[in-house]
Amino acid sequence: MSYLLKTLTNKDDVDCIIRDTIDKLLVLRFGRSSDSVCLQLDDILAKSEQDVSKFATIALVDVDSEEIQVYVNYFDITLIPSTVFFFNAHHMKMDSGSADHTKWVGAFHRKQDFIDVVEEIFRGAMKGKLIVNCPLPPERIPKFQLLYKDV
Amino acid sequence: MANLEDSFLADLEDLSDNDDQNLDEAGGDEEHMEDDVNGDLADMEALNYDDLDSVSKLQKTQRYTDIMKKVEDALENGSNMSNQGIVLEDDPEYQLIVDCNTLSVDIENEIVIIHNFIRDKYRLKFPELESLVHHPIDYARVVKKIGNEVDLTLVDLEGLLPSAVIMVVSVTASTTSGKPLPPDVLQKTIEACDRALTLDASKKKVLDFVESRMGYIAPNLSAIVGSAVAAKLMGTAGGLTSLAKMPACNVQILGTKKKNLAGFSTATSQFRVGYIEQTEVFQTTPPALKMRACRLVAAKSTLAARVDSIRGDPSGNQGRAYREEIRKKIEKWQEPPPAKQPKPLPVPDSEPKKKRGGRRLRKMKERYAITDMRKLANRMQFGVPEESSLGDGLGEGYGMLGQAGNGKLRVSVGQSKLAAKVAKKFKDKQYSSGGATSGLTSSLAFTPVQGIDLIDPQADANRLGSGTQSTYFSETGTFSKIKRT
Repeated sequence: MSYLLKTLTNKDDVDCIIRDTIDKLLVLRFGRSSDSVCLQLDDILAKSEQDVSKFATIALVDVDSEEIQVYVNYFDITLIPSTVFFFNAHHMKMDSGSADHTKWVGAFHRKQDFIDVVEEIFRGAMKGKLIVNCPLPPERIPKFQLLYKDV
Repeated sequence: MANLEDSFLADLEDLSDNDDQNLDEAGGDEEHMEDDVNGDLADMEALNYDDLDSVSKLQKTQRYTDIMKKVEDALENGSNMSNQGIVLEDDPEYQLIVDCNTLSVDIENEIVIIHNFIRDKYRLKFPELESLVHHPIDYARVVKKIGNEVDLTLVDLEGLLPSAVIMVVSVTASTTSGKPLPPDVLQKTIEACDRALTLDASKKKVLDFVESRMGYIAPNLSAIVGSAVAAKLMGTAGGLTSLAKMPACNVQILGTKKKNLAGFSTATSQFRVGYIEQTEVFQTTPPALKMRACRLVAAKSTLAARVDSIRGDPSGNQGRAYREEIRKKIEKWQEPPPAKQPKPLPVPDSEPKKKRGGRRLRKMKERYAITDMRKLANRMQFGVPEESSLGDGLGEGYGMLGQAGNGKLRVSVGQSKLAAKVAKKFKDKQYSSGGATSGLTSSLAFTPVQGIDLIDPQADANRLGSGTQSTYFSETGTFSKIKRT
C-alpha cells in the first residue's frame, strides 16, 4: 500500500469521504497491497496526486477488509485493482470501450493517461453528464474479460 | 619680437604645408601674439614651425609657476586641515584646488599642441610612428629614446611600450621611408619632448595634490569611488560644481580612451566606461554585471558630487551610505533565482480561452469563410428547380449558380471586406488634393455625397453574382422571369 495516499479500511471512512468531497472528483481504488498491478497503479496515483490536487482527491480502499465487502458487492468488484470515480456523491461512469463502464479495471500505462482520464471525467461532471467517453486510444486501455466472472 | 623677425627670415626657404598647425596655434596660449599674426598666413607658418616657445607658452606664464609653487609647498607641508567651519569658497585651499583643476585641463591641451609639434618634426624621420603610438606622452618618450637612430635594434624600448607594440615599431622602422633629421631639428624635437615630459610630470604632481586633498574637498564622492578616481573625475570635469551639474550618463563616460591600435582585438574593450573602470567596486564585480555596476556607480557618484558641491555632508556619511547601497545591490544581483515550486495542474475548463481578434485573425479566417459561390449554391429560387451536377436531381445541386441566364457557373469575384476597406482608404488618399494645386483644378472630390456618381460598368454582371447582396429586395434588380400570357 502506498504510504503517500490515504488508505481506508472502515465503511464509515469510505462513507465520509464520499460525502465530504465537494466539487472535486473522488478517485477510489479498490485493491490489495500484494498485487503487482495494484502496486503499479498505486505508484501512478501517488505521483499524480499533487498535480490533480486542484480538482481531484485520491484514496485507496483495501479490498480485503470485512467492512469493505459491502462495497465490493455493491460495485461488483472482482478484478483487482478497480477504480471507481465519484463526483459530489454521484457515481461517474466512463465508456472506455470495455464491457464495464462503472469502473476502471487495471493500471494505467502512463501518468499522463491517468491525468487525462481524470480531467475528462471532471469536465463531463461539471457539465452535468454522468457518463463520459474515454480519451485514451484503445491500445492504452488494459483489456480484461468479464467472461471469467460469469463462469 | 626680434625672435619673430629672425624666424620669419630664416623660414623663407622652408616650404611645407602647416595647415593643421595654423588651426592649432589659433587656439593656443598666445593671446598677445594673435594681434600680430591676424590675417598673415605666412607669419603663422613661420612662427610655429621652428620655434618651440611660440608653440607652448604655458610653462612661461606666471599663473603656471604660481600654482606649481603653491602645490609643491602644500605637498611638503602635508595635510593642513583647516577648520571646516569656513565656507568652502573662502578657503584658500579650495581656491587652489579649483585652480589646479583648470590648470590640469590647460596642461592637457598644451601637451596635445606639443605632441602635434613633435609629430610634425619627426615625420621626416619616422612617419609611421604616429599611427602606432597614439598616446602623446608615450610618443614623446619613444622619440626621445630613438633620437636620430636608424637601426632600431640598438634602441631599447623596454618599459616604455607594451612588447607587442615594440615589435610592431621595430618592424616598421626597418622598412620606414624616413631619413635622419638634421641636428638642429633634432635638437628642437628633443627639447619639445622634454617640455612635454615636464608638463606631464607637473600634471601628475597637481593631480596627486588634488587627490590628497580629496577627502577634505569631496568626502562623499571619495567614499564611493576612491580619492584617485574622484580627483581625476573632478579634473576632467573642470571642478566640483561642473561635475555636479553633469548628468550621470556623462559622468560614466568621463575619461574613456577611444583609440584602439589597428590589429589589436576590440573584443576586450568595454564601451562607455571611463574613470569608473578604475574604481575598486567596478574591478570586483563579475564581468556579466559590469555594465550595470558601472551605471549604478556613476549614478550614485553623481549624487555624492552634488551633495559635496553644496557641502551638505562634510563628514562623508552620505557617501558611505551610498557605497553600502551599491554593495548590497550588486550582491542581490548575484543571488540565484528562487527554486521552482511544482505547481498542481489547473482545474480543467476553468480558464476561458483567450479569443484573439484583429486584422491578422480576420485575414486568416477569410481563407476558411464561405465563399460567394457556395452561398449562391446554397440558395434556391422559388418555384424554379435547381440544376445539378449529374442532371435530373442527382449529384450536387447548383442553387442560384448559373441562374443569371448566360449558362455559366462562374461567379465574379466580389471584394472581401478587408480588401474593401483598403481600397476605400487608397481611394481617399488618391482623391484628396496635395499641397500645391494649380488654379485650374476643381476642388470637387468624386464622392457619392456630392451626388456625382460614376456608373460601375461591372454592376450588371455583379448583380446576381455576389451572393452577399440580396437580389430579392434589390433596387437595381429587374424581373427575373416574365411570362408572356
